[in-house]
Amino acid sequence: MRARVFEETVLPHLDAAFNYARWLARNDADAEDVVQDACVRAMRYFSSLRDDNARAWLFTIVRNTWYSRGSRKGNVADATPFRDDGQDQRADHALDPEERLLQQHTVALVRGALERLPVDFREVIVLREIEGLSYREIAAVVGVPIGTVMSRLARARERLQTVLTLASHTESLR
Amino acid sequence: MSCELVERDLDTYLDGELDTESSAAIREHVRTCAACHRQFAGREALARLVRGAPYYSAPHRLQARVLAQSTRSSSVRRLVAWAAAAVLVLSVGSGIALWGPASSRGNAVADEVVNSHVRSLMANHLFDVQSTDLHTVKPWFLGKLDFSPPVVDLASKGFPLIGGRLDYVGGRTVAALVYQRQKHTINVLVSPVGDDRSAGDLAVTVRGFNVRHWIHEGMSFWAVSDLNSAELGEFANALQAS
Repeated sequence: MRARVFEETVLPHLDAAFNYARWLARNDADAEDVVQDACVRAMRYFSSLRDDNARAWLFTIVRNTWYSRGSRKGNVADATPFRDDGQDQRADHALDPEERLLQQHTVALVRGALERLPVDFREVIVLREIEGLSYREIAAVVGVPIGTVMSRLARARERLQTVLTLASHTESLR
Repeated sequence: MSCELVERDLDTYLDGELDTESSAAIREHVRTCAACHRQFAGREALARLVRGAPYYSAPHRLQARVLAQSTRSSSVRRLVAWAAAAVLVLSVGSGIALWGPASSRGNAVADEVVNSHVRSLMANHLFDVQSTDLHTVKPWFLGKLDFSPPVVDLASKGFPLIGGRLDYVGGRTVAALVYQRQKHTINVLVSPVGDDRSAGDLAVTVRGFNVRHWIHEGMSFWAVSDLNSAELGEFANALQAS
């Protein structure tokens, strides 16, 4: 019974948990380990889920698991080799080959820019733009006041805008 | 509104977290001020770019491992419970009891709507008819229901229709229309008002999913998604305006 309730409540958010962990860890193996550990903890603390927000609750556990593993490496990009998984399925097949190439190139640029952000900035951007969490939810997951969420988002966006504008500028000069 | 204020509140506005009055002031200012409009357009373009970043779905082996863990831990628990006679059963039971009322505090139908959404995603039974063509989706419902659900495509608003199916909510068969926003799936359950006693507009969060309810031209609509509340609201508005 409990297992079923757990599965129905938590498993629907497994993709979201993995996506968040993958952006924290920047590689598949660590992300998988983190999410698996997080699910074990989630099961253990399942009765502590008092409100209805199972997704934000799971994000919090994923984040705590990631940090408790001492996984917080340097803030510079790691040497994850370029992989184009997940991009083919996103590519719009109505595009002609040239446009599709350009789209994949843009995705790779954005991915690189995001991965090079310091983790504190990267996670708020991922939670906000990709997972669509509200400021209040992000504050709860990250464990900082809403004002800090807002200032981190602002600074992260400034950096991304600079990096991406510079990148597209360099491209056009080539 | 001054340019400084616009600059300060622009992100909050674009994130859908600014109050209605200030939002209107920003829209008004941006329409007339070229500098702020550039800033606005830049931020909007950035958000679009970032939302196009890769979404990493959980690999199947991870899903299988977590499921196996959950089953294993619950059977171990059962064994211990039998041995320790009811003590643990009681604690597990109270855990559910604590959790139960929280989820039923909202609307009972909203709860069912979320169950339907979760079922459709987990059982991989999102569609009975999979098509982005509303001229395929609409006739598919003919004769399967005692009402005709309004089927519209919202691709131009960024919410393409991707299919439909029949579902069972609140003791009756309903039409489920499936839309998408980036990687997020939106289920819209439609049935004639009358069976559904839920009053008008409602926006709640149930188990991490955002749920909206509204009534339009005699039909009751339930939209549910893991999409954030602001964007789901945008979707609801687009659907009502169509």
